[in-house]
Amino acid sequence: MNPHPVDQYIRTLTRRQLFQRVGLGVGGFALANLLNDELSAAPKNQFAHFAPKAKNVIYFHLVGAPSHLDLFDYKPELQKRNGELCPKEMFEGKKLAFIRSRPTLLGTPEGSKYAFKKCGQSGIRISELLPNLQTVADDLCFIRTMHTEQFNHAPAQMFMQTGFERFGRPSLGAWTNYGLGSPNQDLPGFVVMVTGQYPGAGNSIFGSGFLPSVYQGIEFRGQGDPVLFLSNPKGVDAFARRKVISAVNQLNEMQLDGVGDPEIATRISQYEMAYRMQTSVPELKDISKESQATLDAYGAKAGGAGFANNCLLARRMVERGVRFVQLFDQGWDHHNAVFDGLPKKCREVDQPIAALIKDLKSRGLLDETLVVWSAEFGRTPMAQGTDGAGDKAKVGRDHHKEAFTVWMAGGGTKPGYVHGRTDDLGYGIADAPVHVHDFNATLLYLLGMDHERLTYRFQGRKFRLTDVHGHVVREVVS
Amino acid sequence: MGSQLRLLALLILPFPVWAKIDFNRQIRPILSEHCFACHGLDEPQGGLRLDFAEFAYKGGKSGFPAVSPGSLEESEILHRVLSSDMDERMPPKGDLLSPRQIELLRQWISSGAEYAKHWAYVVPRRPALPRVKARNFAKTPVDHFILAKLEEKGWGPSEPAKKEKWIRRVSLGLIGLPPTLEELERFAKDDSPDAREKVVDYLLDSPRYGEHWARQWLDLARYADSNGFQADQLRDSWAFRDWVIDAMNADMPFDQFTIEQIAGDLLPDATVDQKIATGFHRTPTCNVEAGVHPEENRVNQVVDRVNATGTTWLGATLECAQCHSHKYDPFSQEEYFQMFAFFNNTPLEVENKSGKGVSFDFWGPKMELPQSPAETSKRHSLLAELKGEKEELANLQKEANRNYEEWTRQKLKATKGKKSEWRVLTPTKAVSDGGERLRIVRDGSLLAEGKSGDKSTYQIEVSVPAGTWKSFQMETMLHKSMKQNGPGRNTTNANPNFVLTEMIVKVEESSEALDFGRVIADFNQAGFLPGQLFDGKLDARNGWAIAPEFGKVHWVQAEFSEPLVLSEDSKLLIAMKHLYGGGRNVGRPRFSLSTDGVRKGEGENGRLHELLAKAKRNDKEERELRAFFDLENPKLLALQKKVADLEQSLKEVTPPTTLVMVEMDEKRETHVMARGNYLSPKQKVEADVPEALNDWKPEWSRNRLGLAKWLVDPENPLTARVIVNRWWGQFFGSGIVSTEEDFGSQSEPPTHPELLDWLAVEFMENGWSMKHVHKLIALSATYGQSSRVTTSMLERDADNRFFLRGPRFRMTAEMIRDNGLRIAGLLSGKMGGPPVYPPQPDGLWRQTGRNEPKYVAARTEDRFRRGIYVIWRRAAPYASFVNFDGPDRSACHPKRSRTNTPLQALTLLNDQAYVEMALGFAVSILEKTQGQSDRDRITHAVRRALSRDPSAREIEILTDLLNEQSERLKSDSSIARSLISQAPLIEVSAHLKSDEVGAWFFVANALLNLDETITKG
Repeated sequence: MNPHPVDQYIRTLTRRQLFQRVGLGVGGFALANLLNDELSAAPKNQFAHFAPKAKNVIYFHLVGAPSHLDLFDYKPELQKRNGELCPKEMFEGKKLAFIRSRPTLLGTPEGSKYAFKKCGQSGIRISELLPNLQTVADDLCFIRTMHTEQFNHAPAQMFMQTGFERFGRPSLGAWTNYGLGSPNQDLPGFVVMVTGQYPGAGNSIFGSGFLPSVYQGIEFRGQGDPVLFLSNPKGVDAFARRKVISAVNQLNEMQLDGVGDPEIATRISQYEMAYRMQTSVPELKDISKESQATLDAYGAKAGGAGFANNCLLARRMVERGVRFVQLFDQGWDHHNAVFDGLPKKCREVDQPIAALIKDLKSRGLLDETLVVWSAEFGRTPMAQGTDGAGDKAKVGRDHHKEAFTVWMAGGGTKPGYVHGRTDDLGYGIADAPVHVHDFNATLLYLLGMDHERLTYRFQGRKFRLTDVHGHVVREVVS
Repeated sequence: MGSQLRLLALLILPFPVWAKIDFNRQIRPILSEHCFACHGLDEPQGGLRLDFAEFAYKGGKSGFPAVSPGSLEESEILHRVLSSDMDERMPPKGDLLSPRQIELLRQWISSGAEYAKHWAYVVPRRPALPRVKARNFAKTPVDHFILAKLEEKGWGPSEPAKKEKWIRRVSLGLIGLPPTLEELERFAKDDSPDAREKVVDYLLDSPRYGEHWARQWLDLARYADSNGFQADQLRDSWAFRDWVIDAMNADMPFDQFTIEQIAGDLLPDATVDQKIATGFHRTPTCNVEAGVHPEENRVNQVVDRVNATGTTWLGATLECAQCHSHKYDPFSQEEYFQMFAFFNNTPLEVENKSGKGVSFDFWGPKMELPQSPAETSKRHSLLAELKGEKEELANLQKEANRNYEEWTRQKLKATKGKKSEWRVLTPTKAVSDGGERLRIVRDGSLLAEGKSGDKSTYQIEVSVPAGTWKSFQMETMLHKSMKQNGPGRNTTNANPNFVLTEMIVKVEESSEALDFGRVIADFNQAGFLPGQLFDGKLDARNGWAIAPEFGKVHWVQAEFSEPLVLSEDSKLLIAMKHLYGGGRNVGRPRFSLSTDGVRKGEGENGRLHELLAKAKRNDKEERELRAFFDLENPKLLALQKKVADLEQSLKEVTPPTTLVMVEMDEKRETHVMARGNYLSPKQKVEADVPEALNDWKPEWSRNRLGLAKWLVDPENPLTARVIVNRWWGQFFGSGIVSTEEDFGSQSEPPTHPELLDWLAVEFMENGWSMKHVHKLIALSATYGQSSRVTTSMLERDADNRFFLRGPRFRMTAEMIRDNGLRIAGLLSGKMGGPPVYPPQPDGLWRQTGRNEPKYVAARTEDRFRRGIYVIWRRAAPYASFVNFDGPDRSACHPKRSRTNTPLQALTLLNDQAYVEMALGFAVSILEKTQGQSDRDRITHAVRRALSRDPSAREIEILTDLLNEQSERLKSDSSIARSLISQAPLIEVSAHLKSDEVGAWFFVANALLNLDETITKG
């Protein structure tokens, strides 16, 4: 029998040509599948610039932006001066989203419920609002001096996730998926889970921008099909589905023989992968075989949905080789009644996140999994105090781009470490600022990529996640 | 390797000294790749620029010429690229120049170091048709260029595609739809020499042509039906979409097409259509989240307009120059803001409606679309009537106001501790279609007697006293004739449950069902919510039930959407539909009405009392209390209703609107913005165009109209090239310049530069006719080649840039859907109008923002209209389009990617839209081939899907699938029924057996999933 035209073709390609074509999304998957042993041993990508510290990422974006001042950045001076008019320079000439007249300072309440406890050996202070997270303090690596350039949610979310405040750029997860690919052929390389309302910037913050759309985040939904169109229609069982796919692929193979276009070979392998996904995704989603102890630790329920379940699913995805898992949780935009709303939201996420970190650690996955807690910006040390009708409402905090806290765990970050310091009122940065671009450069570095060399050519220019900026924050790398 | 050694290496490279160096082709790419980023227009390092001869010859701060024509020794550039000293070496970072690149530089400098303008900035002139050896190949002038290049390489073209392949390709290429069987046969039989031309002309004349080609333009125009961002509310701009389709169908000259879109509003005596055309630039996204700064929004929108203009017409990435001068192309930051100035005179596009706080809404110039004189006159008379009624209403309200204070005092006393009262309604008639008898009992209830019907519908009439009624109640009373005393009559097992699917309440004389707002019950079984009683859905399980709370009286209360005002004693007709089956019927219903709204606990009086007792009421509470007050004033209520009705009627005759550009009377000053930031204005600039391109003509006004004329001036080097190249990309899968979005110095050079210029000039000299150019391409031999790929072709030219064969590539998202609908025989030809909602999975539009619109799939022919009309919501575009690389249209999208993923397989296999297509296709196959053999039926189906006859082996594979599934479906008739039930709009006529439709569904499903089906090949 003559060798298949595609096989013949593949032999004519050099390894480099081949991966360039994979990068372009042309016939990529099939070619990779049809490779002989020698070629499949080739590096999986062209952007693995150095040995990675982390293989996978689980990224929490707390949508709306939690009050870092009441959770992670303890400010006794602010408490002391609670109620005073804020210094002029904190208001005049500043762009604030909601506050329109000179506000007062707002300290964290003095009660024990809101106290900051020194935790673990590191002695890092974490609010009592996050009692479970306190127990893993020694695994966390804080950056208290994040700053951004946008102070409205949607542009700031895009800036955080795509390095650009307007539409059209690829997200961090898409860049990672493009740069490193995914080791699991039966699941997408970049999965997104959303609890509560959608982030204001919509799908764009996990989109692929100008990258081929194969790299975009695929949403795992809490209701209906976890992946769109995954289930067979009524009247089509798995057996009938197999028959249809077999017929389709037999016909496609005849077409491949006749026409010789390698794209057909790719199509054939995608139908096989679709069939496998119909099994692998429900298997992934089914947590009923997890031990009761595990379910309890997370607060997850078999057959349920929600944030705790998503945290457990994130671990299961990482175990199965999903490269980048991103969880968006809405509801942190506490303009009003921050001291009611914040404790409620903390109760929803504290236990599952802490459980995830412990679970990853006990399974030996934390070293290779980078866990990130982030948001689009922080919140003001000043009070936002009146509602639209002019009534004095319970105070909240406005959007704050000058300084906020993020943390990481695992994935080669320095455990039990705090980077940078804000000023005594928590308004500006006193030492070691970290810009969004610096943070993203650092995340890519941990994944083994040089942010200056992870590029994609579009409209005559090599684009980067970090534009022309960004410095890796070496201090947070272990 | 030391520089000496490398120099030595150069000397032995075989390179003929007489070779003429082409600066643009051979030298510019080297400089652009390695040098321009630091030695270009933007802040040149060491004061040295290499982008123009004068700078390069002069050199930078060092004083040495970087390039000295004719002298290798004196050209600093050569020393630097060869230096082994890391401080001297250029480029300082990244890859060194290759020996071949260095040799090219040497050749170039030796031969005089001539610079040439970047090819794309030189005005195209028509080249002569190249001479070719193969005399019989060319069908249109296009082919000469392609063949000449092939012959130059010693290659030859492929044989022509088969007729059936050709017509499918041309049809998909020109109108985005495959040929019908009739078209296929007509062409097969036509042996006349102009048979192909007839087909092309027919397709160019089809209204489907504009529907197909508008898609690419709307990607560039970033046309969508919503604002984007947080709220992502819908906006009306579809008249612009229709304008594009119409303009393309009419073959509007492209210069006019441009002028009307950029500046239609500025044309003298601008027509309605010319204003609609300006919708092109009213498409930018708009952020209306609270706390947004309106000026920032506006600046972002203007930036978007400048960038989209640059990408769409000039293939230029102007946005690079927003923050700093362009690093590669000759566009300075100052020039960017000169372009910005053209678009800077439009008003703010967010509005703070309340005038306080930080909430904003999308705003901006809108225009009403024209309507018929009859509609206009009706609208005017309604407006006049409304004015009168409103005046009267105001008077009545004024009058009522006098009693308001006193009323609140009286009411405060009267409502203290009082609970809602329910007035029981006496039944006058009651029948059931399930066989049971409904006996009227003295307490006003109806007791069902006799055997419980399987799925009974009760029809009941009750009398109602005059009054203003706000709520309706049904109680399910008990009786010893039922198990555990009821309240249901379930006959299948021991529990006395009922499942009431739907209740329909009507006033006797009117035929419309009354509408309910809030619905509550004392208890409901999980999933069987009381609200489902009034939702119009007749799914058996979509109703109210009460297991396991048996042996207790239950009640459901529902508030009328508008109070039921009865001026005299009347009747209510109540239908109770029990569709669940098993005799799960209510055993003893009783009905009552209340003048209060429903509220758990003490009823609405409680709320009234609470409001009255407040020392201070805010605006919302005051309005609520006024509503209570008004309830006692029937005259006022009647008038309020009349005004509301008039407003509704007015809405029906109010024309739809579309977004347009409007120039403010007073111009804004434009300043360069430091780092692109609007808060850091620098020097003032005036509207102007980049110097590197064609000159501004004095007769043009310095506004958008002048800009538009400049874009389509015959001396503009870019527009015509960019446009024809993009079309070429649609026909062949990739442009002659493969970076269709960029013609700058970093772009890929054209594979056939003379062809590109020839087409650009041909386009302009033939009245900028799009159809003229499309005809030349569609009829070319190049386009008509067989698309069969051989290994040798893959080795020589894997991407088919030189056209060793015809095009073969996957269709766009919209084409795949349109193609499926056409194959299935479902495609609607209805054109234009508001966007349509084909089926998509539930929940995709959840929680994307305030004033949330709902996605309700169309149940008319709108379900099956072309993709160009499908609603495009930016935060959640139509799901199957996204899976096939449809963009979210938040930004100008010059070129879609063409991926090949498992999600695409899942979409075509399982998406309800495609399941419906397969069912429709199955039904249509059976209808059109009555009495034929399976083999003939399969042949018919394959011809519809692929425009060709199947091979014997293909028939065998499909027959096997058919037989297997046929067996399976025969074994259980419910399978086929549940399959068919998923396509509510597909009619299965009585003479078709559902087993048979079900079995053919699988054949249809397989055919719609073939690579060949979704490929233009």
